[in-house]
Amino acid sequence: MIEFTNVTKTYAGSDALQAVNMKVESGELFVLVGPSGSGKTTLLKMVNCLNTPSTGTVAIDGVDVSSVNVRKLRQEIGYVLQAGALFPNMTVGENAAVQLLAQGWPEAKRRERVRSLLKQVGLDPDIFMDRMPSELSGGEAQRVGIVRALAVSPKMVLMDEPFSALDPLSRRQLQDLVLRLHKELDTTIIFVTHDMSEALRLADRLAVIHEGVLLQVGTPTEILAEPANDFVASFFDDDAKQRHFLTQVVAAGFGRPVQGGETVLPASATIYDWAALLRDQPDAVVASGKTALAPADLIAFMATLNGGVR
Amino acid sequence: MNSLLNYIQHNGSDILSALWQHIAISLVATIITILIAIPLAIALINHRKAGEAVLQVASVIQTIPSLAILGLLIPIVGIGTVPAIIALVLYAIMPVFSNAYAGLTNIDPLLDEAADAFGLSRRFKLLKVQLPLAMPMILTGLRIAVVMIIGTATLAALIGGGGLGTYILLGIQTNNNNALIVGAVLAAVLALITSALVKVLSTVSPRRLLTGAAVVLLLGGGIYGYNAWQSSRQETVTVAGKMGGEPELLINMYKDLIEQDNPNVHVQVKANFGGTSFLFKGLRSGKIDIYPEFTGTVLQSLVRNGGTVPHNPQTAYTHAQKLLSQQYQLSYLPPMAYQNGYALTVRADTARKYKLKTLSDLKRVPQLKAAFDPDFYQQADGYPGLQKAYGLNFSSVRTMEPALRYEALAKGHVDVTDAYTTDPQIREYKLVVLRDDANFFPPYQGAPLMRNDFAKKHPGIVRSLKRLRGKVTTKQMQELNYEVTVKHEKASTVAHRFLVQQGLIKK
Repeated sequence: MIEFTNVTKTYAGSDALQAVNMKVESGELFVLVGPSGSGKTTLLKMVNCLNTPSTGTVAIDGVDVSSVNVRKLRQEIGYVLQAGALFPNMTVGENAAVQLLAQGWPEAKRRERVRSLLKQVGLDPDIFMDRMPSELSGGEAQRVGIVRALAVSPKMVLMDEPFSALDPLSRRQLQDLVLRLHKELDTTIIFVTHDMSEALRLADRLAVIHEGVLLQVGTPTEILAEPANDFVASFFDDDAKQRHFLTQVVAAGFGRPVQGGETVLPASATIYDWAALLRDQPDAVVASGKTALAPADLIAFMATLNGGVR
Repeated sequence: MNSLLNYIQHNGSDILSALWQHIAISLVATIITILIAIPLAIALINHRKAGEAVLQVASVIQTIPSLAILGLLIPIVGIGTVPAIIALVLYAIMPVFSNAYAGLTNIDPLLDEAADAFGLSRRFKLLKVQLPLAMPMILTGLRIAVVMIIGTATLAALIGGGGLGTYILLGIQTNNNNALIVGAVLAAVLALITSALVKVLSTVSPRRLLTGAAVVLLLGGGIYGYNAWQSSRQETVTVAGKMGGEPELLINMYKDLIEQDNPNVHVQVKANFGGTSFLFKGLRSGKIDIYPEFTGTVLQSLVRNGGTVPHNPQTAYTHAQKLLSQQYQLSYLPPMAYQNGYALTVRADTARKYKLKTLSDLKRVPQLKAAFDPDFYQQADGYPGLQKAYGLNFSSVRTMEPALRYEALAKGHVDVTDAYTTDPQIREYKLVVLRDDANFFPPYQGAPLMRNDFAKKHPGIVRSLKRLRGKVTTKQMQELNYEVTVKHEKASTVAHRFLVQQGLIKK
């Protein structure tokens, strides 16, 4: 568990971060999202001491990071940077093994570990081990970047806008990779992005930061359904438009008062959740707040949507 | 072209050793520069202000003319290769440091951060990330520095550092184009080859680079050590001479005489060592032991004598000897016979036609056309004084470059010119030197100069050199100069042959 307590950061008299308090649970894929300059990267770098809070503390499993040996701390945390940031003078194999080397692994073990990880991220080690970074595509380079971060089987991986320079297709593939690896490896991942759809796609939970202020922490659906303020709402506006909540169906005038016996869905439920339910129980009536909605209401609501639901 | 090949053939081994000397000076200067500049750049990576300051200082040093640096260094470290190398290092630090520093501080911040974020040790980060990434810049700086060092190292010759500059200076001093071409072309070619070599090095892996550097260092050190060991077995006496063929002849005579009489002494000859002040300072600081100096030069530029220069050669010598001993604790051995002073010359046919023998005779022939070296024309001890002393009044007087005036005289464009009495052109064009019957010109007689303590410690050497007293007439000196500077024979050969002819040494 990573705990940020009253973290502030002041640059030249102005606040880059204001009294941030939040917790990242172990094993979580936690996304820090916000426009550029919001302070999300600053917050991320405080975890491995690339940046230090002006006041407040960052603690991993109850231990303040400022109280431990920095090199030792960093050797146990994976880090993925923008566009891979591979060392151009080293081969893929050498790049991926950098942290293993820092930890003092013997050569044969390093090679073995890197080869198996390359396979895991979909790169054939026979082909890629001895390539130079300049011979890789952006997507391949970032896969190697991920291998480098995962090499020491860290309890925690920090990712700083890792896919922002990639084309949409590669970005999607790498997002899938991150989701898959997260499931397979049981690692805490803190992922920084300014792209809200990426945040929504990846996050177990996400934190919205704007101008150094932590606005909201929650699951994607919680945030979409009940944005804490106008900024959060507008930030996710484009995505929210493509999502439709039961609350919207009720607001559109459908349904009847709850009588009991309906399947109660949470306030954050979308019409997709509803549709998924109907696939199994075609006659189910669901409740949202004090309103009950019948299957026919779904069809009628969808008919009102311009262009239909995508 | 033919004469160039001839020259190279005759001086092949000397040229080669000058080339080696040049390479050695440049190599040592380059290595020292690297050892200073690159660790400095590394140390200052995280101290940008100090880095900028060093950059400023290095730039300022580079704006100082190299000759001025050499001059400043002489009183501190003396003459020879040491000040030359120091000056070269001072120059080369700027390009090496600035490029290395720029390379090391302009590494992509993302990569810098990556190195930190993985908990790499500082050493690992430096060796595996920072230096490799800065390497192209470092090598660029090195290339600039090496080319500059090789070019500037030609100036080492000015202070007795040797190298290819010796030939360039020799070429300029003695109007010997072959020597000039050999020196300049070899220096240029050396710079080009080395620059290309550094470029090739940039493609070699760092490990091989290090091994190669170690081998070169070991080899260089070994050769240097062997040479040092060899020379330490005998007492070495350093005899130096000014620029030109005549001093080189003299010091080779000194060498032959000393070595014949004192078998345990090895004489190191440093020809074309530089100008008067370089040699004088070098002698006083003990960098050199003996050099030939003119009585006239001693009295006019080296000692304080109240401005009067005796016109009688014997008086001039004793005067110079006394003042040198009093003011500088130097021993001035008796001079040779020849005089290398100012004189006026005419063609043989002119002399015959007007029956000219002395300078006084010129008063009778104001119709002659005169051409003088610009300096001689202006200096009080030149034409203006001469005019007063002899009442000369030529109808036509003009100034002419020293190199041209002999040819103009020989071709009949002019009738009278100034000359140095031992100039080989006098013999080459069969000119007549007019006798200075009023003793107007100060006497210029060459004699060995050394420190008093050296003379006291080496009575054998003093005895050997005293055997040259009154030897070598002006005519003989002209002939010897002719053989060296016009016919391009080796000075050591000519000197040796002369001494054997004169019965001063055995074969």
